[in-house]
Amino acid sequence: MPNTMEVIGPDAKEARARTIAQRIALGAWRSIEFRIGLFVFTTMVLLSIFWPMVSAIDPMKINIGAKLTPPVLFGENWTWTHPLGTDQLGRDMLMRCFVGLRYSLFIGLATVMIMLAVGCLVGLWAGYRGGLTDTILMRITDAQLSIPMIILAIAILGVSRPTIPAIILVLGLSGWPVYARVMRSVVMAERKREFVRGATILGASDLRIMFLLLLPLCLPPIAFVAVLDVARMIIFESVLGFLGLGVQPPTPTFGNIIADGRKYLVNAWWIATVPGIFLFLTLASLNLMGAALERSRNRVYGGKA
Amino acid sequence: MFLVNFLIRRLAQGAVIVLLVSFLIFTLLRVVPGDPVRLIVGGMAPDALVEQIAEEMGLRDPIPVQFFRYMSGVVQGDMGQSFIRPASGAAVGGASFDDNTRSERANVLDLIADTAPYTLQLAVLAMVFALVIALPIGIYGGLKPGKWPDRFALYIGSLLISLPNFWLGIVLALVVSVNLGWLPAIGYQGFSYTILPAIVLAVEIAPFLIRTLTVSVAQNMGESYISVAAIRGISHRRIVMAHALKNSSVPLLNLLGVQFSMLLGGVLVVEFIFDYPGLGLLTINAVLQRDFPLIQGIAIVTSAAFVMINIVVDLIATTIDPRLDY
Amino acid sequence: MISRRGILGGVGAAALMTQINPEFLISSAYAQTGKPIIFLSAENITGNWDPTAHTTLSQKNIEAYVMGYLSRAPMRPENPDETNMELAESITLLDRYRLEIKLRPGVSFHDGEPFSAKDVKATFEYGAQPDRPAQWYPGPTDTFEVTTPDDLTVIVDTTKGGYSASLFIFLASYLPIMSAKDVAEGPNGSLSQRLNGTGPFRFVEQRGNDTVLEAFSGYFKGAPKVSGVTYSFVGDGTTRILSMLNGQASIIERLEPEQIDTLTGKPGITLSKMISVENKYLWFRCSKPPFDNPLIRKAACHAIDRSIIYEVLGESGSPSSNFISPIKFGYIDLENYPEYDPEECQRLLAEAGYPGGEGLPELEYITSVGFYPKTKEYGEVITALLQEQGFPVTLNVMEVAAWNENLYDRPGGGPGHMVDCGWSTGSPEPDLVLRTHFHSSSKRITGLVDPDIDALLDKERSAASLDERRDIIQKELTPMLADRAPALSLFTSVLVHAMDSNLTGLFLYPDGAIDASAATFG
Repeated sequence: MPNTMEVIGPDAKEARARTIAQRIALGAWRSIEFRIGLFVFTTMVLLSIFWPMVSAIDPMKINIGAKLTPPVLFGENWTWTHPLGTDQLGRDMLMRCFVGLRYSLFIGLATVMIMLAVGCLVGLWAGYRGGLTDTILMRITDAQLSIPMIILAIAILGVSRPTIPAIILVLGLSGWPVYARVMRSVVMAERKREFVRGATILGASDLRIMFLLLLPLCLPPIAFVAVLDVARMIIFESVLGFLGLGVQPPTPTFGNIIADGRKYLVNAWWIATVPGIFLFLTLASLNLMGAALERSRNRVYGGKA
Repeated sequence: MFLVNFLIRRLAQGAVIVLLVSFLIFTLLRVVPGDPVRLIVGGMAPDALVEQIAEEMGLRDPIPVQFFRYMSGVVQGDMGQSFIRPASGAAVGGASFDDNTRSERANVLDLIADTAPYTLQLAVLAMVFALVIALPIGIYGGLKPGKWPDRFALYIGSLLISLPNFWLGIVLALVVSVNLGWLPAIGYQGFSYTILPAIVLAVEIAPFLIRTLTVSVAQNMGESYISVAAIRGISHRRIVMAHALKNSSVPLLNLLGVQFSMLLGGVLVVEFIFDYPGLGLLTINAVLQRDFPLIQGIAIVTSAAFVMINIVVDLIATTIDPRLDY
Repeated sequence: MISRRGILGGVGAAALMTQINPEFLISSAYAQTGKPIIFLSAENITGNWDPTAHTTLSQKNIEAYVMGYLSRAPMRPENPDETNMELAESITLLDRYRLEIKLRPGVSFHDGEPFSAKDVKATFEYGAQPDRPAQWYPGPTDTFEVTTPDDLTVIVDTTKGGYSASLFIFLASYLPIMSAKDVAEGPNGSLSQRLNGTGPFRFVEQRGNDTVLEAFSGYFKGAPKVSGVTYSFVGDGTTRILSMLNGQASIIERLEPEQIDTLTGKPGITLSKMISVENKYLWFRCSKPPFDNPLIRKAACHAIDRSIIYEVLGESGSPSSNFISPIKFGYIDLENYPEYDPEECQRLLAEAGYPGGEGLPELEYITSVGFYPKTKEYGEVITALLQEQGFPVTLNVMEVAAWNENLYDRPGGGPGHMVDCGWSTGSPEPDLVLRTHFHSSSKRITGLVDPDIDALLDKERSAASLDERRDIIQKELTPMLADRAPALSLFTSVLVHAMDSNLTGLFLYPDGAIDASAATFG
């Protein structure tokens, strides 16, 4: 008996699980889009982490004298101290964009992690247990899917002052049902397999089976595609910020910089455009990576790679 | 028989869902800081008066009781009255607390019914635009997986999805409307005012349609019945149009149902930017003005709409593909 | 206008897309002559049309189209005391306590009732009641007596109140005259449901956010040439300017300095800039801690560097150092007006028991957005300056209607601790600001109860002559206000309007009211 476990046991399964995840990753890596996306994204992340540390400029320092300076090479009186110009209160645009990027990335990643955690746990539990647990959990998931999340989000954030934890919570709650569903279907397929039955016979507890066997197998493919959701959450947060329901000023985030910049679009187009370009680059790189990963996953599961 | 069964089951589920949603929002609005009575009564009222009016209006009863009362009203078609807007529908504020005109407020149902058709028009036009963009790109990309039409679809999809819709809206409003003068942008004074907002919305939806189409068309073209059809001598064009497309449309339909949740988010922002007098603008103003009955009413109406749309989509899907079982 | 069916039918007109001809789609529904003026307003209305039930500027501006006034004050800097007679033919001070107003014959209200002395009497007696939210009168109804010897003469006798009847002279250009018939129905009657006046435009209805007015053919100075005025609330500055650039609006108000730059030199658009009777204030809630302590209020004033605010405002603001605008009666540049002085600020904080700001509760600073120019921007500046001195301030930016709901004082103190608001009253009368806000009988926003200030306000009201009154205001009242600082006046607004160049014959008052009786579209 112990011998059989050596062969079909968790080790071998984990090796195969790693291989699936690895296969997906490798498949994505082969495509140019992924590499471009990864390169751009890493650059932006590194810059957003290190540039504010290195540069002496304070993104919140108000300097009315220098207000509405255009970016380098545009208009008149541009200067190298403010390469991307200044906003209506003289604050440096480049610095504000990087700080805003920090917040966006932080909120996006934290939100997706919550979504993954909650969604996958719910899906895992429902898929493994089946029966009544499954029905109840899935009904809850369905109900959540039917709630127009944007309305819930603006209702919650609109009537109480939005703080960062509240925003992350609300955004996270909006996305977990999809993960729960996907996880559940994957788990339902896998739990009928031999290795699970074998483990049960050997006396492994349910928790052990769920967390040590099934989770490592099912999670990575889903997690990869979650990259797309990071982009989606960043946009969602920006929309909230644009409506005035996101992170509050004077903390710079893309949403509220663009909302402020809207007033000045005719005279100082860079206040709204520059953060828009930053946002676009970040999202595009994330989306390229995510799309490449998704295609690769489809190919792996479709049996072509 | 199946149809009746299906409808009953789904409608019952739908009712439960709508109920759940309303209860959630209802509780939320009662629980967050900010006393709704204050809003009705107005800024300058002394606290004793606030308490008295709250008792009279039943706003100090336990939440389930209030909710039951509210839902019984809803079932009869009365969604309550707006806190802020008087019968004329204007946005007002600043009147005294014992101002008598505060009692004639607008009916929530009327406010929603007035604005919903505009949003519907916008949504339908946006869908049309999105399909116009997505169908050619998606189908062509699906027909040649791995080649440049496919990559093109991928790039375009990623590009469009990364454009923040509010940013695009602002830029388009400025460039197309103000600078070039091709299309009007602000408010609503004719059908043409729907075009620019619909374009912005379409840009938001199109990537998903493209992606689903490429995947599903590619998948279908790889099926054995397609290759067999070629052997049977059916022309390529007929294969694609009559067979592959029909089967690829099922995931698309499903997607259309899901798209409505995305559409709602986009509609809010787009209507806000273009001052388009639809449900989205009403929602945003309701939230910014803390108009709780209106927020509740909109939440109920939108979740009911979702449920109905999903039912309809599933029904059509079953008709097209009898293998599906809902 | 457009039925729901009509819209759904319009969906089928998607074929129109293929021939986008702007002129075809954006049809000119109006003929060239006699089209209405479309005015986009930055502030919402209250929904109660009774002129004595509100202090909202936008509604006062609507009243300026619809109602009649005894006189009007153009209030230009070169001649601030000038008055033009309107419903009155003459206003004469008979002696210290008696004012005689002779009325113009041949005027009628929009509902057909002829205008006569009884309407003036009813207006004064109703408006001065102490329960009216808008406290414009020098004293409540029982402090004066109005008699009407004949249909066209009104005598106001202020012996009982002990103050000079000359106070009513400035008021005469500010108070809309209501019909005695309406007043008799009381505050819950037709007064609250619609406007009825003697002005050039008649109130038709309130449609959503649009107040629809149409030309009154029986106007005593002759029917207006434009067909009417549509006064629309649009709470967002960008939307207003886009509508102007698109040709959808005839006049917009409250331009921001950058918008002034954009529109200057644009063909077809004319700009009007004037120093306003309005000052922008940072109001402290004086009835609750910590701002019930004048030391802390003064400390906050010294923490604010108004020169930065002037820079933020650019053309939309003008420096001033008093609690009233330079075109008001009694203005003087105060010597003891609180200037930027961080050391003094810290000294005062320490004296009040909060060295460096330690121990102060969280302070909420409420401001609006979309109405006055740059409120959010200078709100951020002020917040930063206060935080530098140790005040734990959070800025709460609200949409206009929500801000209006949170603006006024309540028993126990209004919401927040500091509020940003402007105060604009279309008459040179300084009490419309000073008494309304700083006297304990009114204290509209501050909630201030200060017996010393009350005493000085009563003293200047009862002054024997205008010169004596001016002296008291300049040498005693306003310096004491600067010392107690229940509010800080940040600057005087410069009202900037943008108009369609074809629209001529408008007269703009420095409080934002517009006289369109002689206006035409070119």
